[in-house]
Amino acid sequence: MTSSLTRLLDFDDQYRRDSQQSQAFLHRRDRRFAQQQQTQRRPLTVPAWLAELHALNDQRQAHGHDSRLRRWRQARWVFAGLGAVLGAAFMAGLLVYDGSRQINVTLVLVLVGLQLALALLTSLQAWLGWQPWGSLLGRSGEQGDPLQPLRPALSARIAHTGGLLFALSGLLTLLVMVLVQDLAFGWSTTLQASADSYHRLVSTIALPWHTLWPDAVPGAELVAASQYYRLTDNAMADPALLGTWWPFVLMAWLTYVLLPRLVFLLLAALQVRWQAANALRQHPGYQPLFYRFDTPWVETRGEEEAPREPAPVQVSLMPLPETGTLIHWAGAGQQSAGLVRRLSQAPAPLQLRAGGNSSLEEDAATLRQAGEQRQPVILVARGWEPPTAELSDFIFDAREQWPPATMLALVPLADEQGDPLADAGLLSQWQRFIERQKDANLLLCAPKATWGGNR
Amino acid sequence: MDDNGNTDIIDDRQSDSALPRFAVVGHPNKGKSSVVATLAQNDSIAIAMEPGTTRDSHRYPMKVDDVTLYELIDTPGFQRPRKVLAWLQGHSLSASDRPDTVAAFVTQHRDDPRYHDECELLGPIVEGAGIIYVVDGSVPYNREHEAEMNILRWTGRPSLALINQIGSDDYSADWEAALGQYFQIVRRFDAVRAPFEKHLELLRSFGELAPNWREPLDAALEYLQALKFGRDHQALEHLADALIEMLGHQETSRLGEFEAAEPLQPKLRQRWQAWQREREQRLRHSVEDLYQHRRLQRQESDLCLPDGDDLFGERTRQLWGISKNQLAAAGFGAGAVGGAGLDAVTLGHSLGTGALIGGLLGAAGSYYYSDKLTRVKLGPLSGGFREATYGPLKDPQFGYVVLGRALVHWYQISQRNHAGRDVLVVTDSDGHWLEELSRSDRNGLQKSLQALARRRFEPSKRQRLIEQLELAQQAFAQWQMKQFSESG
Repeated sequence: MTSSLTRLLDFDDQYRRDSQQSQAFLHRRDRRFAQQQQTQRRPLTVPAWLAELHALNDQRQAHGHDSRLRRWRQARWVFAGLGAVLGAAFMAGLLVYDGSRQINVTLVLVLVGLQLALALLTSLQAWLGWQPWGSLLGRSGEQGDPLQPLRPALSARIAHTGGLLFALSGLLTLLVMVLVQDLAFGWSTTLQASADSYHRLVSTIALPWHTLWPDAVPGAELVAASQYYRLTDNAMADPALLGTWWPFVLMAWLTYVLLPRLVFLLLAALQVRWQAANALRQHPGYQPLFYRFDTPWVETRGEEEAPREPAPVQVSLMPLPETGTLIHWAGAGQQSAGLVRRLSQAPAPLQLRAGGNSSLEEDAATLRQAGEQRQPVILVARGWEPPTAELSDFIFDAREQWPPATMLALVPLADEQGDPLADAGLLSQWQRFIERQKDANLLLCAPKATWGGNR
Repeated sequence: MDDNGNTDIIDDRQSDSALPRFAVVGHPNKGKSSVVATLAQNDSIAIAMEPGTTRDSHRYPMKVDDVTLYELIDTPGFQRPRKVLAWLQGHSLSASDRPDTVAAFVTQHRDDPRYHDECELLGPIVEGAGIIYVVDGSVPYNREHEAEMNILRWTGRPSLALINQIGSDDYSADWEAALGQYFQIVRRFDAVRAPFEKHLELLRSFGELAPNWREPLDAALEYLQALKFGRDHQALEHLADALIEMLGHQETSRLGEFEAAEPLQPKLRQRWQAWQREREQRLRHSVEDLYQHRRLQRQESDLCLPDGDDLFGERTRQLWGISKNQLAAAGFGAGAVGGAGLDAVTLGHSLGTGALIGGLLGAAGSYYYSDKLTRVKLGPLSGGFREATYGPLKDPQFGYVVLGRALVHWYQISQRNHAGRDVLVVTDSDGHWLEELSRSDRNGLQKSLQALARRRFEPSKRQRLIEQLELAQQAFAQWQMKQFSESG
């Protein structure tokens, strides 16, 4: 019976452990399990899943020994013990017989009825989920306690266990008393009840067993003979007759106390099992688990890339050299007359072009012409486009062909109008490019700003 | 597709040559990595790398239960295209030998550091990958990159040009006309802002490059759509669990028999608020994890959430709370959200009288979250001690604040591309997102939130709550779309 409870608790534990894991990991793990089960034609169930995880984690699966159930188990033992003791005491007290007067069957029947009512009330509370005495069990469960919705059913199961032990020990006490004492039963009531109507009452009560054990149904003579009044002399012609009530008392106890408790205990146990299964189905982790079982794992991310932050660099912009030679890399700033004026104070600077859609032969011609000028060269490039290896090759070729120590000023632009590059990230990129060239005569420069200030 | 996603078609596709592969190529810094990051849903792919440094190509296979349906290959940019083209022209006899000549170039220069990037780039293409050539549509078209395009044409592989929009200017039409001469298909795609439907459209067009690629791409699209749907639904489950826990949360402490409860109030409230903040953070992380925004989990400041960080801030309450009128008017009666009963908070914003109304609401807000509505409750005396309990908050605003913040976070995450920019979220608007819900749905939601705050929420009603949240999710998304279209 407790396997459904331990399964629920086990599932809840796994759910809590999984909440620390990424969804991707969980999906892959559970999808793999689902595929494995399908391949091996085994059912896809929560117990199988838990068993697999326990096996993988080298854990033993708990079988009814979960520590969170200990309190309930202990309460069940206490109730069972109490029930046994109280049952014996109750029956012994009820059957106290000193020979002065008979044991009142009416009182026995009332107490049997009370037991039945208590049993019914206990089950009713559990079925309705009503717990007026819930605070006696301490604080209501913690948030997310999976046993919280099962508390009424668990409590009813404990109460019925106690009740069953009460009924059993009461029954045994009754048998012992019958065996060791000469019990004399009678019936008495303040109400104006005739022996006939009392006979009808006991016959009705005895209906469930009247065919099984006819001797346990008191006859009309017995009923008439065993009525007594406390104020009269109760001396009877046949005292042994009064002892023949015991089968009726025994069967009444069995039928209306013991059997209902047994039935209610079974029902409570079934209710615990049903509610545990229901709580499992309604557990927040249940549907996501089956979603992971059923849904193919879709992976798009591929490899994870480690962050590749470029090394930090100190940007140092140098003043523009005085020169009349400009090279527009990939045509950068070629259309901006203002830019040319800001780059060179020569009246008609030599403007050349390389890179971009120029041919390699045109690049070579540009290098030749620029070298012939024997003066510093300004190389203008689009600052927002990263410097490529072609530019690096061009600078390398220039160093090979130009006179040694020719100053080369690299000017990255912010736009086609020739504004100076201000973006720190882009400037750092150009600074790093300059440093990679390992060329002392290669400078990073900015065009003069339109207001005439040097950048 | 079947339940396992293991169709025969896919199994047959395991042969290496038939697997659709797409090499994303282009000039450095034109957004290749952004395109791959968005399509591969991988925010770890470096965007805006330092160009000019040697890079290798990276493969991003799209797998379903470990069966690859297609593969994206992020490549370094062209570094020496004119020299490569010159080499190719110098080694080719006729147009028919061009693909072989490109393959020969790769073979010859595989170990040459000068052409490392070109070999990394051309290698997958000569091995059979399709070409996705990425250009920046925000800069004017020029002929500077013609060498690159010529090299790609020489490979003879199916090709698609992608006009990516990096800046604000738009020269896409010029690019479209020019690229049409070199590439089979030309598409526009904003890798940073394109919605999910556009990703699928683009992938579908990849499938048009070769007849035998269409089927695997179509299958992949179905899986990707299902994945998105599944994630949206899973996000609702996370949200429902967070709401259940947050709205019903209690903080407790033991109190001596003769100890006064009053001094305990601020301490318990502080603990309660700290717990709420932590739980909300957990919800956010789980949603980010669900949509695989792993970089965000390390740096949430990347997100531009409209109400800052504080769950209990006044701005938060103004944005997501609802007015007492709305609550009082028969559970959000029709008049309550539109006419006379329009939320005082949003009305304040729409009339531009935020300061005045904000001040008034500040007073009201401090009332809402004050101890007047939630006080420490004392349990029965047991063993010389009593249990002091703080929470849950009975204020109905709190549920809407938690829900509103969770929805805006979900919206940002679910709409955010893995190339990683914020999606726009309209915050100051003339209406509340709840207006998009029908009256009966609003009532249902209200009842659930109330039950949660009273700790009378039965686990069996969780599914119903998820259904209500699904409607809220749709309403929120609709409201956001409406705000965009109105502001646009």
